[in-house]
Amino acid sequence: MFVPALACCVLAMAGYLLSLLVKKVSLARVSTWILATSFVFLSLYLLLAAVHSTGWNYFGSRHFLSIYAWAIAGIYLGSQFKSKTRLLGAFIVPFILLLLIAAAGYGSDKNLVPPQWQSWLTKLHLLLAIAGEALFVLASAAGAMFIIQNNLLKRKKPGKMGRLLPSLGELDRINHLGLLWGFPLLTVGMIAGAVYAAFVWGGRWPADPKVIWSFAIWAAYGFLLHQRLAIGWKGSRIALLSFVAFLLFLSSALVIRFCFATVHNFI
Amino acid sequence: MIAVVGLNYKTAPIDVLEKLSAGCGREGNFPAGLKAIPGVHEILHLSTCNRVELVASADDDSRPMDMLKSVLALNGALTDHEASCLYAYRDEDAIRHLFRVASSLDSLVMGEAQILGQVKDAYRRALAENAIGIVLNRLMHRAFRTAKRVRTETGIAANPVSVSFAAVELAKKIFGSLAGKKILIIGAGEMAELTCMHLIGNGAEEITVANRSAAQAEMLAEKYHGRAVGLGALDEALCDADIVISSTGATSYVVTQDMVRSCLRKRKNRLLFLVDIAMPRDIDPAADSLENVYLYNIDHLQDIVDENMKSRRRESLKAEQIVHEEVAQYFNWLKELEAVPTIVSLRTKAEGIVRMEMEKESGWMESLESTDREKVEALVNGIVNKILHAPVTVMKEESAEFQSQDIVAAARQLFRLDD
Repeated sequence: MFVPALACCVLAMAGYLLSLLVKKVSLARVSTWILATSFVFLSLYLLLAAVHSTGWNYFGSRHFLSIYAWAIAGIYLGSQFKSKTRLLGAFIVPFILLLLIAAAGYGSDKNLVPPQWQSWLTKLHLLLAIAGEALFVLASAAGAMFIIQNNLLKRKKPGKMGRLLPSLGELDRINHLGLLWGFPLLTVGMIAGAVYAAFVWGGRWPADPKVIWSFAIWAAYGFLLHQRLAIGWKGSRIALLSFVAFLLFLSSALVIRFCFATVHNFI
Repeated sequence: MIAVVGLNYKTAPIDVLEKLSAGCGREGNFPAGLKAIPGVHEILHLSTCNRVELVASADDDSRPMDMLKSVLALNGALTDHEASCLYAYRDEDAIRHLFRVASSLDSLVMGEAQILGQVKDAYRRALAENAIGIVLNRLMHRAFRTAKRVRTETGIAANPVSVSFAAVELAKKIFGSLAGKKILIIGAGEMAELTCMHLIGNGAEEITVANRSAAQAEMLAEKYHGRAVGLGALDEALCDADIVISSTGATSYVVTQDMVRSCLRKRKNRLLFLVDIAMPRDIDPAADSLENVYLYNIDHLQDIVDENMKSRRRESLKAEQIVHEEVAQYFNWLKELEAVPTIVSLRTKAEGIVRMEMEKESGWMESLESTDREKVEALVNGIVNKILHAPVTVMKEESAEFQSQDIVAAARQLFRLDD
């Protein structure tokens, strides 16, 4: 089931690229359906793996990354029921694809959660953090697309590209919803992790780079949401900042993965 | 033959056109006496703001064509000079002309959607008058089909080519849905009103009209169930609006950058679409540099329209190809309505049936003596020939008098020769 999911994802990616290239939204529409197929395969894969695994065998890098990809795909596809931003997939699918390819590189028993971390709080921590970050991916992709569409409209020549990309209003709404739901989920996820860490480590917290960076990114998204809700920031400024926050998140994840030792060694 | 006689905005000046046209927005009546024109079997009368045309199926000589022309000239009381604006097409040219008209390739604004509806209305009126027979019926349905293909297979109607529609499209690109969006109209001009109407048609709701003359503002506001304010209350109205359309005759800026900037916080940075269709400008161009503010003036909109017009012209090449295909198909069908090929295919079909039935029964016929078998065959062929004799004779007779199309068409339908 993993291979068909990956294959469909590659196909969807190609479809989205082609749609951008020939500037036809119909291709993006088809690609969204292909992505939905990929999502179904991925769901089946994760479900079957859950049935066949025994408890904590499930939580290794491969499944962790797959769940991450699954969550992003699911949230994006869910958003498509309410909004017609089919082209947004073009910015989301590359990320899903990257996660799936990374997942394919791991055996399913790689980087399992060590025994001292095995608790329901850890599961909660993992799942909520994934959901929160997936929502941030959606918010940031919408932000990135907003910046492009904004530039086209400001230049007074929307042309074919402007016609192809979704409207500013819809992109801004997706960004809003992504931040609005992503932040509390991430917050609860991080608290769950912290509570359990307090049990294990007691008072002495090691300086885990992932923990430090996550806190910084959490604060950045919190700031964005605050500006949005309390100060009334909208549109291009928020769009730009959420994209920057996402780049920060992505680069920190990669730097930590390749340069540091961390207890969060799943990716 | 198929004939089209008429005049349009290209061939006739507007005053000549008005003499014949029933007037824009009104349905033209089917002129009395059209059906009585000698040599004309079927006829349809199309009248719009931009064209008046007669489409007819008539005898294959020049008389009906002249008659059609003089009927039109008489209807509009045209002088000889004015009547020279009339054009006349026959057969393939006539069919092509009609298909191009229905597909909006011949329209003033190429790709506009209205004309197809007008052609359909004309067809319905002629149908109600019993002026349509098998030839025009098929012709018109082919015309509708061509128009539909042109619409769906080419991008000819894809992008707006009027300033007001271009503004609406931009509004959609900025806000997504226009439902519940608030419009502010500053000044009152035809284009502003038209744009406002299109915005309402797309879901925009609250209308506010600000004008120097309170009476005019009231009048416009009432028309769209909105409210009127004086120019003094412009600041407040501006802060409240999502879409602003400005077209005053003022010589200085009515909306300045500072006015817009001071609004941004009050409106919590909601997106603001400013449309400035005034000459000279009403809205300070510097307002565009503000975040979440999108200012388009008439030149920007005109540029978009020009660009779209160019793309329509490119698409029209594809459309002409579709028309070409459809004309060829219809013309082939028409040619088959001549008597001789129909008689041949009728005989071929009958022979085919005889052969098939004989083969089916060949089992028991084997057991017959060969002389008996020949007798049975002769009997069957005799019956078939007797049945076919009358229709074939009538078709031959009628075709000698140039009247055969209806009867041939009926025969083709009765014996299902086109399947």
